Amino acid sequence: MAGETVDLAAVTETAAGDAGVEHGGRLLAFTDAAMGEDDALLDRERRALCAVLSPEAFIDACALVAAFNVVDRIADATGIPLDPMLHAASGDVRAELGLARFGSAANTPGAG
Amino acid sequence: MLDHVRSPGTWWTGAERVEIAAEARGATRCALCRERRKSLSPGAVQGRHDGPHALAESVIDAVHRIRSDPARLSRRWFDGVIAGGLEVGRYVELVSVTSLIAGLDYFARALGVEPLPLPPPRPGEPSRHRPGGAKECGAWVPMIDPADAAGAEADLYGGGAFVPNIVRALSLVPDEVRVMRRSSDAHYVPLAQIPDPTYHRALARPQMELVATRVSALNQCFY
Repeated sequence: MAGETVDLAAVTETAAGDAGVEHGGRLLAFTDAAMGEDDALLDRERRALCAVLSPEAFIDACALVAAFNVVDRIADATGIPLDPMLHAASGDVRAELGLARFGSAANTPGAG
Repeated sequence: MLDHVRSPGTWWTGAERVEIAAEARGATRCALCRERRKSLSPGAVQGRHDGPHALAESVIDAVHRIRSDPARLSRRWFDGVIAGGLEVGRYVELVSVTSLIAGLDYFARALGVEPLPLPPPRPGEPSRHRPGGAKECGAWVPMIDPADAAGAEADLYGGGAFVPNIVRALSLVPDEVRVMRRSSDAHYVPLAQIPDPTYHRALARPQMELVATRVSALNQCFY
């Protein structure tokens, strides 16, 4: 990823484009739909994503939605703090994304 | 994964683990959970979760909260769960089963297929294995430090130089760390490759991280 420019705001806001990532807009729209409750929207976004990705890459996208729904619940339900090394390295990114507003930020001393 | 869920665990029987999985799945349709998600404070909405239930109400409430509203779990809530009589090892195992089922169900939803039916439980008794070396490390639950992963837990972290807290989070119940690592290896990136920005799957790494980060942002997960 070194040398590539990614629009970080796309992660926490509605993205109008690809966020600097190939097919980023389609990936974000599909992710949003998979996380939501509108089955018709998800069906449309799934077809749109499959039109631009290989079947293997589409399955990867589905697997990532699954994996981070596991990880996020484990993190939030066990109250783990962000690792000191990651905390020290991610200050700018966390500030840009405004992550301190999330309730689970309370589990990491100095996260605000 | 489902075979792990249906097998006797460390603190819960196979039948209890399948019940936990069923509650985790049912939470997505639970009227009380839906009302709580809409409320400014989840604790302000009282009632009973949609049933019938085979587990204690406090256990069901914990499973539903973790499945349906994880962003608003708090230390105070956790302390209340433990003070209510749920032993912390049982809690950690419950977190694992609930989270694994959430992942499997999101995978099915994303793919556009029906969730896999929950299998019948395997008979047998929980192992009641309490690992040595688990201690308070700044999380709500005790965890095993990589330096203390010895004996039966020597394999726990794969000997990597960096073991993030998310991998240690379930270590009070070591078998749940092992299954979480298998799940993560299959769905994301093997632990040893996480710091390597060149590692990728069919999706390029920036595409992978975009999806991963968006999911966590939508879940409002700081970690």
